Amino acid sequence: MTISLAPEPLFHIGNFIVTNTLIVTLALSAIIIAASFAMRSRLQLVPKGFQNVFEYVIEAVLGLVDSVTQNREQSKKFFPIVMTIFLFVILSNWVELIPGLGTVGVYGEHHGENVLIPFLRSSSADLNVTLAIALISVFTIQFMGIAAIGAAKYAGKFFVSPFHKPYFIGTFVGILELISEIAKIISFSFRLFGNIFAGEVLLIVMLNLVPYFVPLPFLFLELFVGFVQALVFAMLTLVFLKMAVTETSH
Amino acid sequence: MELLHNLGIDWRLLLAQIVNFLVLLFVLYKFAYGPVLKLLNERTEKIEKGLKDAEEAQKKLTEIEKKEKDVLTEARKQAQEIVAKAEGMAAKNKEEIIANAKAQSEKILADAEKKLELERTQMMQDVKKQVANLVAMAAEKVIEEKIDDKKDKELIEKAIK
Repeated sequence: MTISLAPEPLFHIGNFIVTNTLIVTLALSAIIIAASFAMRSRLQLVPKGFQNVFEYVIEAVLGLVDSVTQNREQSKKFFPIVMTIFLFVILSNWVELIPGLGTVGVYGEHHGENVLIPFLRSSSADLNVTLAIALISVFTIQFMGIAAIGAAKYAGKFFVSPFHKPYFIGTFVGILELISEIAKIISFSFRLFGNIFAGEVLLIVMLNLVPYFVPLPFLFLELFVGFVQALVFAMLTLVFLKMAVTETSH
Repeated sequence: MELLHNLGIDWRLLLAQIVNFLVLLFVLYKFAYGPVLKLLNERTEKIEKGLKDAEEAQKKLTEIEKKEKDVLTEARKQAQEIVAKAEGMAAKNKEEIIANAKAQSEKILADAEKKLELERTQMMQDVKKQVANLVAMAAEKVIEEKIDDKKDKELIEKAIK
């Protein structure tokens, strides 16, 4: 039983390390893209079968986005990033539930030790993945904010002149806001990473302690945690987006 | 940097993940969300239009029903009027005809009576004349002699009186 904070490298392509999480990420993306193409070719005005499910999910998420933005046009702008984050994160999280996770692999050299390198590792249990999504999310937030209310006004949220009404308090709050924007990246990435990595470790430990039946409740727990974390990631992105495109009222 | 390395962060992997996610986002945006949202919009529009059309049709139907009712009541009223007029006219006609008939029949009756009277008087006169002649002849035969004309006439007239 080995637990590594970093994803395990499977092989190298030149200078580039291919880790198990990268493989999982690519596989997930391929599956999502294939599913979307399959669905697109069977899209009809009068829905049938699987299209109903897909449309129901999309409409539910769009309704959720609407409930935050209170504005259909904004919802349509925010929907793609929010939905993609949700889809990608929830599937990444649920990879840890696949049997053979952390146990099927090859023995290899890792940090100078001969350890089992599993083929599968939940891609959310890799800081590179969570940090990547967090960066995209935060950059999108800044971009949308600037696009919606203009660069000057957007910058005015963070750099407040100390010679106006709330004086130094306003300036201080502005700087705090700026720091919190950066903190968003860290909180986004570490929250997801921590939850899923812990879940993965928990599942591996339980499986090693009692191989039968006992891990079952933990599997359900992780199913739930995976959903909640994906929802949290997507909803926080949505709320931050809404906050970014809203002008300050002073 | 040591911290980042310990956490397993590698800028090449990070970049790969970012690119991967962006590609995923782009593909989904282009091929999944766009068409589905468009489709949902289309359907919403179609359903809304259908509902509106149905509502309009219903409205028109009630309007037509009302018009129909109006026309029917109007027609009924007119029919009643016509019938009443016709009845009135018929009654008047009947009286006229009856009066005419009565007058005519009376006239005919009166004419007939007059004629009858005339005939009777004429007949009476004829009979009187003939009887007088007959009596004169009979008397002539009986007495076989003619008294003078004057006496004769007197006698006859006395007899037939």
